[in-house]
Amino acid sequence: MKKFLNDPEDFVDEMLDGIYRAHPQLTYVAEDRRCMVTAKPRTGKVGLATGGGSGHLPLFLGYVGEGMLDGAAVGGVFQSPSAEQMYEVTKHIDQGAGVVYIYGNYTGDIINFDMAAELADLDGIKVTQVVGNDDIASSIVGEEHKRRGVAGIFFVFKAAGAAAAEGLSLDEVTRIADKARLRTRTIGVALSSCVVPEIGHATFSIGPDEMEIGMGIHGEPGISRKKLAPADSVIDEMMERVFAEQSFSDRDEVAVLVNGLGGTPKEELYILFRRVSQLLGVRGVQAKHVWIGEFATAMEMAGASISILHLDEELDRLIGAPANTPFFSHYKA
Amino acid sequence: MDVISARDLPGLFHAWQTVFSEQREFLIALDGKVGDSDLGITMNKAFAAASEAVSKEEEGATIAKILRTAGVIMAKTAPSTMGTLTATGFIRASKALERASVLGTKEVAKFWRAFAVGVADRGKAQVGDKTLLDVLDPIAASLEIAAASGEDLVNALSAATLVAAHALENTKSMVAQHGKAAAFQDKTRGLQDAGATVGFLILQTMRDFVASKTPM
Repeated sequence: MKKFLNDPEDFVDEMLDGIYRAHPQLTYVAEDRRCMVTAKPRTGKVGLATGGGSGHLPLFLGYVGEGMLDGAAVGGVFQSPSAEQMYEVTKHIDQGAGVVYIYGNYTGDIINFDMAAELADLDGIKVTQVVGNDDIASSIVGEEHKRRGVAGIFFVFKAAGAAAAEGLSLDEVTRIADKARLRTRTIGVALSSCVVPEIGHATFSIGPDEMEIGMGIHGEPGISRKKLAPADSVIDEMMERVFAEQSFSDRDEVAVLVNGLGGTPKEELYILFRRVSQLLGVRGVQAKHVWIGEFATAMEMAGASISILHLDEELDRLIGAPANTPFFSHYKA
Repeated sequence: MDVISARDLPGLFHAWQTVFSEQREFLIALDGKVGDSDLGITMNKAFAAASEAVSKEEEGATIAKILRTAGVIMAKTAPSTMGTLTATGFIRASKALERASVLGTKEVAKFWRAFAVGVADRGKAQVGDKTLLDVLDPIAASLEIAAASGEDLVNALSAATLVAAHALENTKSMVAQHGKAAAFQDKTRGLQDAGATVGFLILQTMRDFVASKTPM
C-alpha cells in the first residue's frame, strides 16, 4: 500500500479537517465533523440530505452546496454513518419545508436513514426518502430493488437539488428525485482493486491483464471477469446492457456521466466517452448534458462507470440548472 | 398490580437492564454461532442507557414520553441492527400510547403490536424469516385476544409468555433470511434465533415485573 496517511485511523477525520479548511461554505453541527451542512442555508427551502461511507469523493459530501444538497452524514471508509449523525444533519437543515434523504441502496445506510427519519418525525420534521439503485450489474430486471446505488445518484442530486432551489414543495422535490432515479442506469468496469486505509491491502485481487464488468464501488463482485479488451469493445459490451433496459426513440435526449473510479486518467475517460457518443449517435439519441471526470470513486480503484439519464423536458431543465458546490460547478449555457 | 403506571416504568426498565446484563454472555454465545457476537453487548448497552435515561425523567412524565426517551437513547447508544430495531419498537410503542395514562391489558397489547409493526417496517422482515418478529407477532396477537376477552394484566402477560416461549422454540426450524445469519442459511436450522430470544426476554421480564408486584 502506498498512500498519503498519518495514522490510518485518522483518515476520515483528517480528510474532513482538510475539507473544512479548504471550503468555508461548508460547516458542521453537533460538534461532529461528520455531520456536514451548508454554511449558507436558504430560508424556506426543502432540505436535501445524503450520507454514506467515505472513500468515494466527490460522493457524497462533495455535492453539498448551492443548487444541490444541504447536508451530508459522513461515515468511515465504506461504512454507514450513524442514525444519530443523520438525524443531527436533518434537524439542522430543516427549514420547515421538510427534508428529502437521497442515498444509495446499502443495508446499513437504509436502516440508519430509516431510524433518523423516525427520530425526525418525533420532532415533527417531514422526511421522505429516495434510495438510489442505478447499478444494473448488481441485480436483474424485475429485482431492481436489490440493485446498489452508484455514480448515477449524481443525477438524482442534481435534479432534486435544482427542484428544491426553484422552491418546489417536499412532494414535488421527492417526485422529481424519484423520476430521475427511475430513469438512470449505470454500469461499471474495474481494472484494479481499492485499498481501505485501515486494512492496508487490496480488497480483492485481479490479474494485470484482467477486467471485471459490473464490479461495485466497494469491490463487490461484478457479472463477468475476463481479459481486458480494447476500449471500444468494453464500452460496446457495457452499453449493450444499458440499451437493453432503456428504450430510446429517435431524437430522445440523455445526460451522460463518464465517471472515473479513482485510478483512471481523464484521457482514458474521454476515449470511453467517444465510443458512448458513437453508440448513442447510431440510435439517434442526443447527449444533451455530458460530464466526464471523477464523481463517485472507490479509493484508488482503476476503472470507470457510465451513467445514462433518459431526459424529459422537466429533467432537462433541472439537470441544466446552475449549481455551485466544492466539487461540482455548473453554469447555465 | 392491575396496571403499569408511568411511575412504575423506571422499575420496569431497571428490571430489563438487570436481565440483559445477566444474559449478556448467553446472548453473545448464541449470536456468535451465526452472527458477529455483538448482540449481548448491544442489548446490555441499550437497556443500561435506557434505564439510566428513564430514571432521570421528570416527575409527571407520561408513559409515551418515557418510552420515547428510552427509544431515542437506545438508537444513539446502540446503533447496530438489533439496537436500532429495539429502539424503533419503543418509539413506535410511544406513538401508539400517546394518550395512555396507564398500561392495562389493552394498552400492553397496543405496545406489543406497535413494537412488532415497527420492527417489521425497520427490518423489512416478514413472519417466518427467523427474526425477532417471529416472537413479537404471536405476542401481540395473544395480548390482543386477552384484551378483547377482558383478561387481567398478569394473566394476559403470563399467557403471552407461554406463547412466546413456544414461538421462540419454533424459530429453530426456520432458516435465516436477514442479516449476517442469512449467509449461513441452512446452518441456522436447529438454532433458536438470537433476536427472537431478545423479544422473549423483554416480554418475560415485563411479565415477571408485573407478577412480582401482584399479590397472590
